[in-house]
Amino acid sequence: MVRGLGELEATIMDRMWSYRRPALVREVLDDLRRDREIAYTTVMTVMDKLHTKGLLKRWLDGRAYVYEAVTSKEAYTADLMRESLAGSGNQAATLVHFLERLTPEEAAAMEAALRVIPPSTRRS
Amino acid sequence: MIVALVLVVYAAVASVAMPSLMAGTKLAERAPRLAIAVWQAASFSVVASLLLAVFVVVVPAHLVGHGLADLFEACAELLSSRIDLGSAATVTALTLGAVVCARMAYTTIAVLWQSRQARGRHGDALALIGHHDAELDALVVDYDEGLAYCLPGRNGHAVITTGALGALTPAQVAAVLAHEHAHLRGRHHLVLAAAEALDRAFPGVPLFRSGRSEAARLIELLADDVAARRHERVDIAAALVGLATGRVPAFTLGAGGETALVRVLRMLSPEAPLGRAERLAGVFAVVLLIGGPAAMAVMPGISEMIAHHG
Repeated sequence: MVRGLGELEATIMDRMWSYRRPALVREVLDDLRRDREIAYTTVMTVMDKLHTKGLLKRWLDGRAYVYEAVTSKEAYTADLMRESLAGSGNQAATLVHFLERLTPEEAAAMEAALRVIPPSTRRS
Repeated sequence: MIVALVLVVYAAVASVAMPSLMAGTKLAERAPRLAIAVWQAASFSVVASLLLAVFVVVVPAHLVGHGLADLFEACAELLSSRIDLGSAATVTALTLGAVVCARMAYTTIAVLWQSRQARGRHGDALALIGHHDAELDALVVDYDEGLAYCLPGRNGHAVITTGALGALTPAQVAAVLAHEHAHLRGRHHLVLAAAEALDRAFPGVPLFRSGRSEAARLIELLADDVAARRHERVDIAAALVGLATGRVPAFTLGAGGETALVRVLRMLSPEAPLGRAERLAGVFAVVLLIGGPAAMAVMPGISEMIAHHG
């Protein structure tokens, strides 16, 4: 089965995040081989790339590298989502949000507006 | 020379007065697409006036207005010595024109390039954590806060968090995603990029500054309208409120609240759409803004021609 390198990166990150502990390339390989045929060198290459990208940290344990995710998946997601919200203000052409962040007052005003106005415009 | 002056004065006045003129009409809320066209036409009009003023100063009137063939001749004259490139007015005008063109080219390329890079980075990062939901036609991200947005571009897609999926009813989710897909299909990010490039090229010009913030607001209104064609307006309004109040963050960024409230109100009690006369007036304004400066610029050439042949 031919899959894109990007998808393999995502799969390996997903495994690394789910372990919540350091892991050898060999361990990841054995895990992945339950679902698909894959070569050791492929997994090693992708994990090396993820290290270069700053998503995995690694250190030598004997003769082999041990890898671990730099942050948890939750923290990584939170960072990305916050960054997306912060970025949409000054670089409008990058992302288009459904809604900008509201202040508590603005949010309250909105709720009040919905309560006051009967949804009479419902199309029949 | 008088024509050039008129064009420059028009550009100056328009770039200051246009924002309040636009604010006076209720065009934005009632016809966002037309309002976007008017803003773009106004911006084009101002820039075109400046460039045409340069043209009028550099190319003498008797060379204009004799048809297309003569326009090429005029360009040839420009290269030969018939047109005096040495005069102070000509040099000033040409320099101004070159600066205007170079600024716009630079900021346009910068905006497109930077946003493309940022989108690429964001898309790569999303690929690691999101999974594509074929039924929703969106990338779902496991995150508690209710967010929905779109990542425009060639491989553009809508993004929605599990928090939003949990907070909204299926009908509301469908309405939100219809809104995002309207952004993607309409290539609204290019509207934003154009407005942003102009504002960056000429910072502080009221027309371009307002044009940029209005573009951001108008594409939201437009996407709401597109979504409302196939979804209940009340679902869009409820989704706006749901996402806004689901979890109010401790920190706030920017001021989108006013726009959000306007959006809720117009989804719940829409104003009458434009009548035929109002719509025609809007289209006429666009035509006038775009064609006016050009008509002004060729006027002396035409009167010259009439004087010659009459």
